[in-house]
Amino acid sequence: MFDQDLIRKWLDEGTINHAQAEKMRADLEEYKAEHRSKKQIIAFSTIGAILIGIGAILFVASNWEKIGDTVKIMLLAGSTVGIHYTGYSLKYKNQKYSRLGSALLFLSALLFGASLFLIAQIYNINANNSTLVLIWLLGVFPLIYGYRSTAVAGLCSLLFYLWIGLLYSERNSLNESINILDLYLMSGIAIYFSGILHELSAKLKHTVSTFKFMGLQAVLIALFIYTFGPLESKGEEIISVIYAFLGLLFLAVLLSKSLRSRLTGFQTDMSMAVISFLMAGITLITTNSQVSEEAYMGFFNLVFLGLLVLLLYAGYSTEDIGIINTAMFWFIPLIFARYFDFFWDLLPRSFFFIIGGLALLTLSVVLERKRRELKAKFAGVGE
Amino acid sequence: MNQKKVLYLTLVFWLLIFSGFIAYKEYTLRTGTEVMLKTLPVDPRDLFRGDYVTLNYEISTLDMKKFHAENSDFYYDEPVYLTLKLENGYGIPKEIYTTPPEDELYIKGKVKDVIYDWKTDESSNMTEEGAIKELRVDYGIESYFVPEGRGMGIEKAQRTGKIEVDAKVIIDKYGNAVIKSLLIDGKEIDF
Repeated sequence: MFDQDLIRKWLDEGTINHAQAEKMRADLEEYKAEHRSKKQIIAFSTIGAILIGIGAILFVASNWEKIGDTVKIMLLAGSTVGIHYTGYSLKYKNQKYSRLGSALLFLSALLFGASLFLIAQIYNINANNSTLVLIWLLGVFPLIYGYRSTAVAGLCSLLFYLWIGLLYSERNSLNESINILDLYLMSGIAIYFSGILHELSAKLKHTVSTFKFMGLQAVLIALFIYTFGPLESKGEEIISVIYAFLGLLFLAVLLSKSLRSRLTGFQTDMSMAVISFLMAGITLITTNSQVSEEAYMGFFNLVFLGLLVLLLYAGYSTEDIGIINTAMFWFIPLIFARYFDFFWDLLPRSFFFIIGGLALLTLSVVLERKRRELKAKFAGVGE
Repeated sequence: MNQKKVLYLTLVFWLLIFSGFIAYKEYTLRTGTEVMLKTLPVDPRDLFRGDYVTLNYEISTLDMKKFHAENSDFYYDEPVYLTLKLENGYGIPKEIYTTPPEDELYIKGKVKDVIYDWKTDESSNMTEEGAIKELRVDYGIESYFVPEGRGMGIEKAQRTGKIEVDAKVIIDKYGNAVIKSLLIDGKEIDF
C-alpha cells in the first residue's frame, strides 16, 4: 500500500496532479479506518469467545449437581455443535458477519474441550490427565486448516505446551531424562519451525505468524529462566542430539535457496538455528564436565541478550514491529532481574528502589518512543 | 476440500470422540465386576474440572515382600496387572503381572514409582541395587469429582478418623476400571 510520503513525492515529480493526490489521500484514510475497524471487530469477538469459553469451563468445574449428567452433556455438546454450525453459516453461507463467524468457530473449539472435560468429570477420569488435553488438541487441530483459523492455531500451541507440562508431571521416565526447561525450549523451537514449514506453502501462510510467535515466546521464557542459573542436569546426551537435530532442520530449510526465497524473516529464523546449536553445545558440555554456576549464568545471559539484539536487528531489517515489540518487552525483565542480582546487596535499600524505579521509568520512556518511531516508520506515516 | 465438507467432517469427528469416550467408559460400567476398594482421600482441585477427592488406595502401594510377582522387573510408566480376589465385596490383591493374566479378575495399572531395598556397607554407603521393596501404581481411578466445596468436608472427616471411605469400582475383563460411587461408612454419597 502506498503512503503519504509517496503521494507527496509523486506530486512533486508531477507524476500525479493535485486532484489525484487528494483522491489518493482520501482513499488511504478510508482504507486505514476500515483496517482499524476490522482489527477492533476481531479483537472484541475473539475476547468475547474466550470469555464464554472460560465461563463454560468454569460451569463444568463447578460440577453443578442440580442438572443430571445426561442433560449436562446434551447441553454442552449441543451448544458446541450449534455454535460451530452458526459460526460456519455466518462465515461462509451468510458472509455478512464473517469475523463473528470466525470467533464462533473458535468458541466451538473451546466448548469442545469443555465438553470433553465434562465427560471426563462424569466418569471420574484422573485429574490433570495429559491424554484429555491431547484429545482436545487433536480434535480442534484440523480447524486451523479447514477454516483457516489463526485463533485455533494459537489455542493449539497453548494446548501443546499444556500437554507437554502434564505429560512431564505424569511420566517419571520423561522426568528422569530431561529437565522441564529443556523440554519447553525444544517445544518452542519445534513450534517455531512448524511456522517456517507453514510459510513454505502459500495456502498455509495464515498460521505462520501465530506459530512463530508462540514458539518464540516459549524459547524466550525458557532462556530467561535459564539466566537465573542451571537446573539439575539429567546427564542424557540425547538432549544435545535433539537440539542439534532441530538446528539441522532449520539449516536444511534456510540454506536451500529455493526454500529460503519463500521465507520472510531469515534473521529471526536463523537465530532459532543458532539457539539450537548453542543449546546442543552447552548441554553436551554440562553432561560431560562440571561447569560453574557463574559461567553457566554468564553464558545464558549472553545468549539471551544476544538473541534480543538479533531480534531487534531482524525486526528492523524486515520492518516487523511484532518482533521489535517482543524484543523490547523482554529487555525489561532481563534488566530488572540483573539489577536485583547485582545491586541488591551493594546499595542501601531506599536508594536501590529509587534508582531502580527511575532507571525503569527512563527505560520505558525510551523504549516506548523508539517503538512509536519504528511503528510510524514501518507504516510510512511521518509524525 | 470445501468448507461444507469441513463442517460435516468436524462435527462427525467431534461427535465420534464424545460418543467413543462415553461408550468406552459405559462398556466397563455395564460389563464389569463390582469391587470395593479401601481409600485415603484428600481434596485438591483440577484446572478444568474443579474439586475432586484424590483417592489413594491400599493397592496403590504394593509391598513386594508380602505377595508374589510374576517377575521381578518393573519399570516406570510400564503397565502392570494386579489380580484380585473378592472377600465380602472387597478386592484383595493376589499377584502382580506384567502381561494380562488369563481367567482371573484383574485391574490394570501403571507403575508410578519403584522403591528398591538398597544394600549398604558398614558406613551406610549403598553398595548395590537390591530387590524391589515397594511398587507404587496408578490405576486411573485416583480422582473422584465432587460439586464445588463438597470435597473438603469428606477430607476433614476422613483425616480425623471419623469416617471410613471406600470406592465402589467396576472393572471390565480387560482390567479397565471406572469409579461408580464413593461410600462413607458403607453408605453411598449422594450429592
